[in-house]
Amino acid sequence: MTFLQPFLLIGLPLVALPILIHLINQRRYQTLRWAAMIFLLAANRMSRGYARLRQMLILACRMLAIATLIFAISRPLASGWLGRAVGGRPDTTIILLDRSPSMRQQGPGTVISKLEAGRQQLARTLEMLGSGHWVLIESTSPVARDIESPQTLLKLPSTEPASTSADLPAMLETARDYIRTNRTGNTEIWICSDLRQNDWNPDSVRWQTLRDAFLEFPQSIRIHLLAYADVASGNVAIRVTNVRRVQTAHSAELLVSLKLTREGGTDAPLHLPVQIEIEGARSEVTVDMDGSACELKDHRIPIERERERGWGKVSIPADANPADNEFYFVFDRPQPRRTLIVSEDPRTLAAVQLAAAISPDPVLSCSAEIIPREQMTATDWEGISLLVWHAPLPEADTAQVVQAFLQRGGQVLFLPPRTPNDVAFLGVRWQDWLDVPSETSVETWRGDQDILANTQSGASLPVGRLQIRRTCGVSGELTPLASLKGGRPLLARLPTTRGGVYFCTTTPDAADSSLASNGVVLYVFVQRALAAGAAVLGQTRQLVAGDAALEQPLTWRPVAGAADALSTDYVHHAGVYAAGDRLLAVNRSAAEDHAAVLADDRVAELFRGLSFTRVDDRAGSLVGLIQEMWRPFLVAMMIALLAEAGLCLPRPKPESDASAKAARPGPASVRADPVARAGAFGSSPMRLST
Amino acid sequence: MFPSRQPRSFLDAQVLSRLANVPLFSRRPMQGNVSGRHPSPHRGSSVEFAEYRKYVPGDDLRRLDWRVYGRSDRFYVKEFEADTNLRCCFILDTSGSMAFGSTGIAKIEYARKLAGSLGYLAVQQGDAVGISCVAKGITRSLPPTRNPAHLRTFFDILEQAQPEGETHLISVLHELAETIRQRALIVILSDLFVEPELLRGCFQHLHFRKHDIAVFHLLDPQEMSFNFRRPMRFLDMEGGPAIFAEPNEIADRYHQALQTYLGALRDVVLESAVDHHRVALDEDYEQVLVRFLVGRARGRG
Repeated sequence: MTFLQPFLLIGLPLVALPILIHLINQRRYQTLRWAAMIFLLAANRMSRGYARLRQMLILACRMLAIATLIFAISRPLASGWLGRAVGGRPDTTIILLDRSPSMRQQGPGTVISKLEAGRQQLARTLEMLGSGHWVLIESTSPVARDIESPQTLLKLPSTEPASTSADLPAMLETARDYIRTNRTGNTEIWICSDLRQNDWNPDSVRWQTLRDAFLEFPQSIRIHLLAYADVASGNVAIRVTNVRRVQTAHSAELLVSLKLTREGGTDAPLHLPVQIEIEGARSEVTVDMDGSACELKDHRIPIERERERGWGKVSIPADANPADNEFYFVFDRPQPRRTLIVSEDPRTLAAVQLAAAISPDPVLSCSAEIIPREQMTATDWEGISLLVWHAPLPEADTAQVVQAFLQRGGQVLFLPPRTPNDVAFLGVRWQDWLDVPSETSVETWRGDQDILANTQSGASLPVGRLQIRRTCGVSGELTPLASLKGGRPLLARLPTTRGGVYFCTTTPDAADSSLASNGVVLYVFVQRALAAGAAVLGQTRQLVAGDAALEQPLTWRPVAGAADALSTDYVHHAGVYAAGDRLLAVNRSAAEDHAAVLADDRVAELFRGLSFTRVDDRAGSLVGLIQEMWRPFLVAMMIALLAEAGLCLPRPKPESDASAKAARPGPASVRADPVARAGAFGSSPMRLST
Repeated sequence: MFPSRQPRSFLDAQVLSRLANVPLFSRRPMQGNVSGRHPSPHRGSSVEFAEYRKYVPGDDLRRLDWRVYGRSDRFYVKEFEADTNLRCCFILDTSGSMAFGSTGIAKIEYARKLAGSLGYLAVQQGDAVGISCVAKGITRSLPPTRNPAHLRTFFDILEQAQPEGETHLISVLHELAETIRQRALIVILSDLFVEPELLRGCFQHLHFRKHDIAVFHLLDPQEMSFNFRRPMRFLDMEGGPAIFAEPNEIADRYHQALQTYLGALRDVVLESAVDHHRVALDEDYEQVLVRFLVGRARGRG
């Protein structure tokens, strides 16, 4: 049982008042000298069971009436999900609001989304519970902002749906930092989310850190989860996987590849009309879908020959979640991809030059140039997408040039020089070369992401077939992408905020490795690094909502979509934006199309050891999170009072005077004049005569 | 009546003058010393015919019924009822319980009024009056005497009787049944707080001794109603243990015990031919006496 006014329960000892009054009353006895003790003693000897039971029932009814009255005025809550956690008005209430696209899912038979339902429930519930201070942390911003009241949740633009995925651990970290910085009192954290795995990252090590941090707080921290975990079966999401402009002899075409995914695991065949809009020109294609996913590869859409750059949108009919029914894309004439190779030994990097110069697409122009280190400051860096550095690590001016290139979003691949020096670049330095006693192969590599990721069909690169003969040691905060037996890294990435920095500890030289002879792995990771650099530096770009790396969102101008978004929030809303001459398409992340929801026990495990309660709600539900239930207690009090009154009613007295009256003659005969009646007898004795 | 003394508190001259016209009769034949109002078990010279008896030599010839001789040619003598005086013995319960009274008058005082008035009437009509004050035993005793001067002593005893001590009514009644040899009107004034079955034996004993038993059962209205609101601690007026009781809890059982007692007592008095009068202390004692005297007069014929 939980109460809105639990401090009123301090009056519960008043339940003992009837007993106290009973005992005091018994003390207030009168003493009476009594003659008819014979009857009292007989009454005492009689069975007292019923009388005592009646007395106890009367006391119990009185105590019950007082108890139910106290419970009623303490405003008990019906729903048990708050548990005993709601103990009075908290000092601070922090609201974590998940605005990810999956929260736009609507409830069955209603147009109210999970996010809208969550906002309304929170506004209503938190208004009822009260707090000294309100703080909002929403999923698109790492900043905690103060709000006036829970009703503000219904009005703020920053509580509207967004296209950015949430990061619940980061939001909780923000809450933790807020509590620590502001030294709040008793705090309650309310989380409104649909428990998607991509938003919660349950495997992240940050959860353990968060648990420890919350446990260390001296004040009471209670966490409440308002979960909207139901999944809409049959909801379809659309995504553009690839779009490229193709020039034909007389015109141009767009080759658009789509992917449709369906939730719920249903395999019923579906004929889905897909609308494709290219800057206002619409066309439609019907996609037959059976199963949970289907793809449409390289659907040709003719465009004007003169149109080299533009934007488009694909959309499907409305279903349970409108957020994944649209996808924006931008297209442009493919830009040449240039690779700059700085090497002391051009022959060693001939294979790299070759890998960078061979374009994977006939319409794509690739070129690679090898220059000595001394010439790099004089080089025109315009259009360079990839820098391969096979020399001692840059320092001084050259380091500034390389860093500037990285800041623009370029990719850099470092290969070890023949004679490494002690220079460090971004905290990384080469160490000594090591000869591997026997040829060793790559033991582990990252196939799920980055430049060694599996192919689109899921096949892994033949990284394990590489033979490594010599490697150069490297020190620094690197993330291994491929490791040899024994743990030595072969390929590692330096985490950077801009651009990409990779360190390969061997060279394609035959004496060092079989990278050149194998060819595939070298070609793939060089082309991928080149593509990543070209994507950033091109005139069009596909962005994931919330990730505005290397962009200036404040300078964007909306071209399509995001009609109601604030200019400061463009990066969080799907649409097409113009940044000067560049076109940017912002869409939800690919993980949003997968409907994996955290299992209940998994959620509970994340908050293990903390004061945690959860309530499951549904979009469109009209039932309040908490319901006061003082009425049943008042009814119980009335019943108790009525029962007490009934028990206290005096029992009808037996006709004790009937026999007494029968012993006496009637009033008339008694009141007759005794003298007159006595006169009938006269003064002489009565004589009977025969 | 009271030439040189203070008037008795338990006597009311007006009541006595009104009651003087109502004689006191006994229901059973009495054995008195002199002629009186009451039937005698023996034959006498009253005007009331009793029976015929065969003439035996020596009988008074004036009592021969010549008409019977003329019809039957046999000699019969008329026998007449003998009237004699009454020997009235009052048994006054002076146990501690007789001191109770919630209506402004205690039972003992009420009993004094009854006994005093009846005793005066009895002496006025030539009957003998005696009294025995009983509590734990016989505390005071005055044999019945016809002497009017004896009445003063009777009243003195009545006046001086103070209720105290336990009630040993049963044993005392049995004792009195043995000690009062001649037939008498036994008037018991008590609250009879004893087991009715034990009283049965006493009444039967007295009845066997050919006494006419009259009982004035004195009860206080509060003892009948038991109407209390607050918890009470009842102290036994006869020295017994105190009882602490919640009246609203014990009232039902008290009334049940009272009704059981009254029912059993009614059965006892009916079976023992006792002239039983239950008297509430809020009743006018004159009405009680009138009812008693008139009832006896009716029974007489």
